[in-house]
Amino acid sequence: MKNKKRNQKNTSNAVFKFLTFFASSLTIVIIISMIISLFYQSIPAIQKFGFVDFIFTREWSFNKDIYGAFRPLAGTILTSIGALLLAIPIALGIAIFITEICPAFLRNIISSAIELLAAIPSIIYGMWGLFTLAPLIEGTVQKAVSSTIGLLPVIGPMFQSEYAGGVSIFTASIVLSIMVVPFIAAIARDTFTQTPDILKESAYGLGATKWEVVRYIVLPYSKTGVQSGIIIAAGRALGETMAIAYVIGNRHGPLNSIFDPYTTITSVLANEFNEAVGTQLSTLFLLAFILFIANFITLAIAKIYSRRGLSNEL
Amino acid sequence: MKTEHEIVLETKDLNFYYGKKLAVKNITMQFPKNMVIALIGPSGCGKTTLLRCFNRMHDLYKGTKYEGEVLFNNENILSKETDATQLREQIGMVFQKPTPFPMSISENIAYGLSLKGIKNKTEQKDRIEKALKEAALWDEVHDRLDKNANGLSGGQQQRLVIARALAVEPSVILFDEPTSALDPISTSKIEELISELKSTVSIIIVTHNMQQAARISDKTAFLYLGELIEYNITDKIFTTPDNELTERYVTGRFG
Repeated sequence: MKNKKRNQKNTSNAVFKFLTFFASSLTIVIIISMIISLFYQSIPAIQKFGFVDFIFTREWSFNKDIYGAFRPLAGTILTSIGALLLAIPIALGIAIFITEICPAFLRNIISSAIELLAAIPSIIYGMWGLFTLAPLIEGTVQKAVSSTIGLLPVIGPMFQSEYAGGVSIFTASIVLSIMVVPFIAAIARDTFTQTPDILKESAYGLGATKWEVVRYIVLPYSKTGVQSGIIIAAGRALGETMAIAYVIGNRHGPLNSIFDPYTTITSVLANEFNEAVGTQLSTLFLLAFILFIANFITLAIAKIYSRRGLSNEL
Repeated sequence: MKTEHEIVLETKDLNFYYGKKLAVKNITMQFPKNMVIALIGPSGCGKTTLLRCFNRMHDLYKGTKYEGEVLFNNENILSKETDATQLREQIGMVFQKPTPFPMSISENIAYGLSLKGIKNKTEQKDRIEKALKEAALWDEVHDRLDKNANGLSGGQQQRLVIARALAVEPSVILFDEPTSALDPISTSKIEELISELKSTVSIIIVTHNMQQAARISDKTAFLYLGELIEYNITDKIFTTPDNELTERYVTGRFG
């Protein structure tokens, strides 16, 4: 009788173990199968252009059936960098305000607003970006900048654009920055609150002001957390599709100005995938494969960073 | 006995509230200069709360309220005009746990100096060496000043924190159970250090450890439930206290 019960227990334990193992290994299987299928579909494009040549080819021509990753890749990297440059100071400011300055009743309101910002579907950002933000930027920031900095010698042309509509690498960076602010702000807020009170009190006890405590105690203490938050945001910015497809302009031409429309890997995929056949289709798979690898690398960097940070603190 | 001593800090009818809870009740006492004054009493008696009034550490938290006066250099530091930041440069604090900042040994001390406006590198270097020597840490760390302070032992970290407090040349240092997280050897080093330091600074120390109070302090105040029960020369408190509560506490019959 007792033995029977024990056997039952052992069986359920084994089943439970198997289920958890199955669920966890499934994620790995899915990822590996994705990489394999992306790579497999890319083979014709790799054979035709060569991997390295493909990355450095600027051309994107249906007529000649020649496709190069240089512009979409550059667009992806530039919009992501632009977005992070704008988002990091804003997100850190928000996190500092929430944790150190803001009165309690406002804290929840602002925190919820930021979480909501992260929950908005990206196509809504795209629509808002295209119909509201892009014309607004064109009429204000772009106008002001091109009539001032734009008149300077040498660098001036980088702030002039012959394209109308306000869709540009600049607008895309702004939309993208709004989308990644919540990620950085939320992670920064969490790591800021982990700074021990006693450490902050020690700094106050030496005669530090609030700003000095934030600058020299809270920020260094949270460095690793904030860094991994930024890298996670970078991964998100690299892969963002719908919003960017709306506001980037989708133009395969030379980029002369921050106000020029351009292209990114994701927007090429979103726009061309439906109709692509043959080499073009394979090319799109190769672009997707490159993006996948880029995201994989950023994630790996984030992991290494946070692990190294942990061993530093011990 | 020591009435001729100059007074460095003085409280007059000091009350302190956490929200509506009165945590320090009507305390009037004087702290003579260049002495070690111990605050003792059972947990929750208000000794740490009282200590934290002296550098207005309570200001950092909401819902706290002071009443009465704390006079430092004949100024009421509880008044609105007092700049808490400047006050804390003159009244330093050392905490229950060592609190090195996440930076190197020398940067830890340079940090306090920079806050005070001392940014000249040569002067900083001299002051760092002086402070580390005063805190009896120089010999142990002089060859690794640029190493992270977290690599030091607990006792060394606490002495570093003391050096950091000393470097800005305060006139008072508040110690909040500075040895409660340390082993006996580190504890005795810190105690020795505190006894030496009183020639340059005045010291107020909160301690749970009555032997410690007896060993290092000149005067001892016994607090109970937020009230000052007895305040006198340490020897008297520990041998012939006037109050029965004090006697029961120092002989270990409650607390």
